Amino acid sequence: MPRILIVEDSPTMRSLITSSLEELEGAVKIVEVGSGFEALRHLPREHFHLIVTDINMPDINGLELVSFVKSNAAYRDIPLVIVSTEGSERDRDKGLELGADAYLVKPFEPSDLREVARRLLASAE
Amino acid sequence: MTRRKVQTRRRSKADREFVSEAEEILEAMRADLADLSDRLAACREPDPELVNSLFRSAHSLKALAGMFRFDPIQGLSHRLEDVLDGLRLGRVPLQPALLALIDETVALFAALLERVGDPAAIEASGAATLELTERIAAAASARPEPQDDFASLDLDPMMLRALTEYEEHRLRENLRRGRHIALVQMAFDITRFEEGLSQLGGAVRENGEVLSTLPSAGDVPDSQIRFALLVATDLDAESLAAHLDLPDAEIRTVRASASPAVPAEPAAGGEQAGAPAALREAESEEAPAQPAFTDLESLKSISDTVRVDIRKLDDLMNLVGELVIQRGAIGDLIARLSSQAGTARLADEFAKVHKSLDRKLRELQSAVLEVRMVPLRQVFEKVSRVVRRLRRDLAKDVELEIRGADTELDKLIVEALVDPLMHVVRNAIDHAIEPPEERRARGKAQSGRIAIDAFQRGSHVVIAVRDDGRGIDTERLRAKAEEQGLVEPGALLSEKETLDLVFAPGLSSRESVTETSGRGVGMDVVRANLVALGGLVDVESTPGRGTTISMTLPITLAIIQSLIVGAREQRFAIPLNAVLETMVVDADAIQVSEGRELLNLRGEPLVLRRLADEFGLQTGAAAERPFVIVVGIGEQRIGLVVDRLEGQQDTVIKPIQGPIQELRGISGATDLGDQDPVLVLDVTALVEDAGRRREAA
Amino acid sequence: MSEASAMRGPTTGAWEDLARSASRPGETAAGGESLRQLLCLSVDGSPYAVPIESVREIVRMRKITPIPRVTRRVCGVISLRGEIIQVLDLRLRLGLSAFEATKSSRIVVVQVDDGRVAGLLVDAVQEVLRVGEEAIGAPASSDVQALVEGLCTRGEEFVSLLDLERVLELEDDA
Repeated sequence: MPRILIVEDSPTMRSLITSSLEELEGAVKIVEVGSGFEALRHLPREHFHLIVTDINMPDINGLELVSFVKSNAAYRDIPLVIVSTEGSERDRDKGLELGADAYLVKPFEPSDLREVARRLLASAE
Repeated sequence: MTRRKVQTRRRSKADREFVSEAEEILEAMRADLADLSDRLAACREPDPELVNSLFRSAHSLKALAGMFRFDPIQGLSHRLEDVLDGLRLGRVPLQPALLALIDETVALFAALLERVGDPAAIEASGAATLELTERIAAAASARPEPQDDFASLDLDPMMLRALTEYEEHRLRENLRRGRHIALVQMAFDITRFEEGLSQLGGAVRENGEVLSTLPSAGDVPDSQIRFALLVATDLDAESLAAHLDLPDAEIRTVRASASPAVPAEPAAGGEQAGAPAALREAESEEAPAQPAFTDLESLKSISDTVRVDIRKLDDLMNLVGELVIQRGAIGDLIARLSSQAGTARLADEFAKVHKSLDRKLRELQSAVLEVRMVPLRQVFEKVSRVVRRLRRDLAKDVELEIRGADTELDKLIVEALVDPLMHVVRNAIDHAIEPPEERRARGKAQSGRIAIDAFQRGSHVVIAVRDDGRGIDTERLRAKAEEQGLVEPGALLSEKETLDLVFAPGLSSRESVTETSGRGVGMDVVRANLVALGGLVDVESTPGRGTTISMTLPITLAIIQSLIVGAREQRFAIPLNAVLETMVVDADAIQVSEGRELLNLRGEPLVLRRLADEFGLQTGAAAERPFVIVVGIGEQRIGLVVDRLEGQQDTVIKPIQGPIQELRGISGATDLGDQDPVLVLDVTALVEDAGRRREAA
Repeated sequence: MSEASAMRGPTTGAWEDLARSASRPGETAAGGESLRQLLCLSVDGSPYAVPIESVREIVRMRKITPIPRVTRRVCGVISLRGEIIQVLDLRLRLGLSAFEATKSSRIVVVQVDDGRVAGLLVDAVQEVLRVGEEAIGAPASSDVQALVEGLCTRGEEFVSLLDLERVLELEDDA
């Protein structure tokens, strides 16, 4: 069963992302964390098949998380989606440069997120 | 069909979540704005953290509004975010007029939030929203920032790439100021890196700024994680290393200072290090066991949380409590079945199932108890905000220092703690801390300090509020008490008893009644509230130097283990966390001295109290070799003398409902499963009574 | 106090059903006035009544755990559905002789407007009286500590309607 890690500090946004992904076909297990630090703690605990992360967060920001994930042999193959807001194109571009596999701009349609998730989960197999 | 239903349900719950989260964001913005305008008024440098925090709030608001398609709110928050982004990146100058405009916007947001769910009302405020939107857009006139090349820095391109636009700005800013830029790398244990990082960050912030925190992969064992911190500091590499004093940290200069080392400025690190540094020299205090944080906003570690109605937690707790009782009853039944020949074998199998049920139930119990435990952080954040407001309202210069925000307590207790704590802090600011001129005249630092310290002590949590203000004028206090007839003139009172007068109802140590703290001292209410929770409050004071109010609270009121004892015909339950030891004694081991019974406990006299005497129990026999249960609260101990020890039980302490509210020595009752309630002893009250009797003797 | 043994007559459940069925809202008397429903109790041979809305439950006599150092009028506590409730000796409260358990003794659990709860020890629970508001007269002036708020008739007898709020206001005189 694919496991998805969601890193997002706004609880409301987090639950929206989760509920969008829960509607994917087939069962998925979703782990939600509210900060980059929490993500760092969770990564070694289970194997994730997809990471969805915001950029603007307290403690370490999303870019630093992407950098960490993509330069780490254990995690670099996990597909990673950045969720950013319009207006921070520079940050988004950096994220892609650092190795993120896709990005979505808020506000996004739940179906778009699902589409991206579907594609990335399939390609990883 | 079902799917759509689920979606609609989620949507309206989400609406409520949106409003609730948006309200929190707005409140944080208001607090930050207040601070920012304070600093501006005091001609101090604006704290970049505050501006960044405002930006992030506006950013979150915009993202939220966007997901919910609340167009007018979204449009407004977009413009607000633009202006704040400009502010934090240095493109827009910070001026009072701009702050006022932002304030107005926040107020409009709040009004719009109230109308969520009423499209007509939102429609009606459309014009006002549009107008404000335009005014803000005009204010955000951007001056393009010259793009610096960071190539001259000795820095890994990966690290540079991971810097957000804001972090780049801060780097540029620090470069411009000629500060020393360094890279501090250190590995931490993966289960505790947050602690280590915040200590490291705190130490850096005393003389500089943490620009970026990058977790790096690499050559560390799986149980560790390595972080690289890009920092800007006034100290050179050697001094930085000495200051940090961390032998495991690697420090590398990225760019040396362009100007001679500047003496540490309070501005860069925000409110944290500046003023208290002077205080720390003036007063000789022991080094705090944990680092002290003065600005909770910058240290907020947001974890995934769920907001729960306390009533639901209570119901859950009750259910678990009932289960616990049933579990006990089943155990009894099994015991009876085992003792009968015909059912013994079945009883054995039954017992096995019961044992695993028991285990699961204990796990459930701990899990539910854990849910009820919340850190004091939330309360402290509220206090923090109130302090900021009061500082302005009362024109007092006060710094708040908080330690132990992670200490956990039962949610109910934490909620009930807010009022008394707020009251104590308000009192301190209003009455204890002197106005700046007076402080200067007395040779004290201009800024008063209030330190809140929370820590666990055994089965209790202590929250101490210490101020360095005037201290309590015991003579005035005593005079007032005599005036009100609470104390006989000429009566001999110990210092502790005099200070205790602070808790007497109706006493006010200041003639004027201030708006903020009502009747000046409502300490009687504070004490009553805390006692109702099963706690204590104590006061210590040194005239001219300060006062400390200590509140001691039990960690949880929920399911606790109790010792069941028998005194004459009656049974009582003693919470196990107050029990230090139990022993059997011979009647002749008990000595009598000055009308009190004592026991020699390893060379120290232990005051005894017979439960039968305490409660006037007459029916039933007294044991020849009674048991002594040594109980203690804080530093005080007494030995309770009982006739029987009946065992240990999980108990749920319930309040006793009925016409008589004051039951001295009893803190509730519990159901032991055979439908017979057993009274639970209030150890605190018993110990206090014994103490009082001792002083009177 | 000994536990009541099995007895003849309606069981506790039946009394509860009676009380529940009696409190049907909105009944009016013939004259169009509002109807009050009062639970009649026997206390030391005399009839007293309490408004049915205040009655939470009626339970049989059971062992009561004494609370030490408290007025004798409070016999102790019982555990009811997870709640611990003080039990009042209504006879002593009314200034009569102390309670003695019999087969028909009951504990009537009442709750007043401000949320206070207590159990009242009575000698028997009798019936539900339906009386019009008008039919409740003022109490006799010499009445027991103003614990009675009204009088109504049942046949030839006067039934004293208790003021529960006052009854539950107890000073500890231990």
